[in-house]
Amino acid sequence: MIKVKKLFKTFGSQTVLHGVDFEIKPGEILVIVGESGSGKSVLLQHMIGLLRPDSGSVVIADQDISRLSEQKLLKVRKDMGYLFQGGALYDFMTVFENVAFPLREHTRMKRNAVMTKVQDILKLVGLDAAEGKFPSQLSGGMQKRAALARAVIMDSRILFCDEPTSGLDPIKSRSIMDLIHTIARKLKCTTVIASHDIVNSLRIADRIVLIRQGTIVAQGTPDQLRSSQDAYLQEFFN
Amino acid sequence: MNFLFNYVIGLVASAGEALFFLLDAVGVVLRGKIRWSEVFKQVYIQGVQSIVIIALTSMATGAVLALQSYVMLSRFGAKEAVAQLVVLSLVRELSPVFSSFIFSGKVGARIAAELGTMKVNDQITATRAMGVDPMEFLVVPRILASLLVLPGLVVFSEILGVWGGYLIGVYNAGIPSSTYVHQTIYAVGFVDFFSGFAKTFFFALLIAWIACYQGFKTSGGSLGVGQYTTKAVALSYILVVVTNVVLTKIILALWG
Repeated sequence: MIKVKKLFKTFGSQTVLHGVDFEIKPGEILVIVGESGSGKSVLLQHMIGLLRPDSGSVVIADQDISRLSEQKLLKVRKDMGYLFQGGALYDFMTVFENVAFPLREHTRMKRNAVMTKVQDILKLVGLDAAEGKFPSQLSGGMQKRAALARAVIMDSRILFCDEPTSGLDPIKSRSIMDLIHTIARKLKCTTVIASHDIVNSLRIADRIVLIRQGTIVAQGTPDQLRSSQDAYLQEFFN
Repeated sequence: MNFLFNYVIGLVASAGEALFFLLDAVGVVLRGKIRWSEVFKQVYIQGVQSIVIIALTSMATGAVLALQSYVMLSRFGAKEAVAQLVVLSLVRELSPVFSSFIFSGKVGARIAAELGTMKVNDQITATRAMGVDPMEFLVVPRILASLLVLPGLVVFSEILGVWGGYLIGVYNAGIPSSTYVHQTIYAVGFVDFFSGFAKTFFFALLIAWIACYQGFKTSGGSLGVGQYTTKAVALSYILVVVTNVVLTKIILALWG
């Protein structure tokens, strides 16, 4: 269970999060949608402790991670995966080395076991033929899939995805969202996605949170939000 | 006046931030979290990157020093002193300072650009998100490698500089080879060598620290990478020059 309680964050004179408050159930796929600059990515970064709130808290498994030191946060993050908007793969490592990195860092798995696990996950994301390539040799969609493989290689309990479809064409966007859905269900991990891709979000989400100017303006299942009579929601989802 | 006040405040704040950055790195070392495989990887990269240019510069410096000093010393009938002048100049000052400049331009720039690119592409944040301390994974290995590589390069530079001076002294100035070698060996005392060599550890720390810090501070895309890299090199040049004066004064006061 993840609980975000009355989260406030200000950068300079700009308030980005204005008392954000919601919960996520275990195993749920929750999509945070909103216009560009509405605070989705900032919210996601608070949920993994990359940013600290001015006030409020983020409670994961009964632990308030917004109060933990960076050293303790590093340990907590081992059980979480984070898919960055641009992939954020190490450009000095091959795809295989990138995906194997968390295993080599946090487990004592033997070389053969690491190889098997990485190859399995690369097969799952459709990159088994690209394991020896460097990120610069991959297309945007392939980079996202490699980054997704790296994010879930530790069998993460929680997966965060920041704008997984940005910069991708509609077909690749659909394919990456389907992949996230498949992996989330297969690993039974709680998944939080920040996206402005409404079509695909409505398709894969269990629940959607709509954020506007740092405040949650609506939340519910895709059907509930689609059928809402609120003018802003109508404009946003239809 | 207000501008000057804000500038000074900004400068003090940046210096404080940089100091905390270094203390963070020292904390990692004190906790024994040193990744030796990464350190040796960096030693190889930094050494290979600098060795050719340091070899060329050192030989040329030794040769030019011998050429110039031969002209001057011949006027006083003391051309045999060329060997002493060359070796002492190189060992006490020129090799440590010139090598540090080159190291800063090659290795410092590389570190700042590499880490800066990682910063703007979220790779450093991704390291944290994967539960890995970027200080431990990226910064400490680079600083430790610099501490190992630069002193080694300086000794290498001194040897090649002396060799450059020897070639000019023997084949151009006509000083007998045995005389030149004898003068060189007996000119250098431990203090002469130590006074130059000890400084290189400070220079190495300064260069790697500034480069890593500027890399971690980089923002503003490719433009930012260029700006922060230039800043890293310029700052380390200035600090090497200033620190050299202070360290030389201390060393001379202590050992003469």
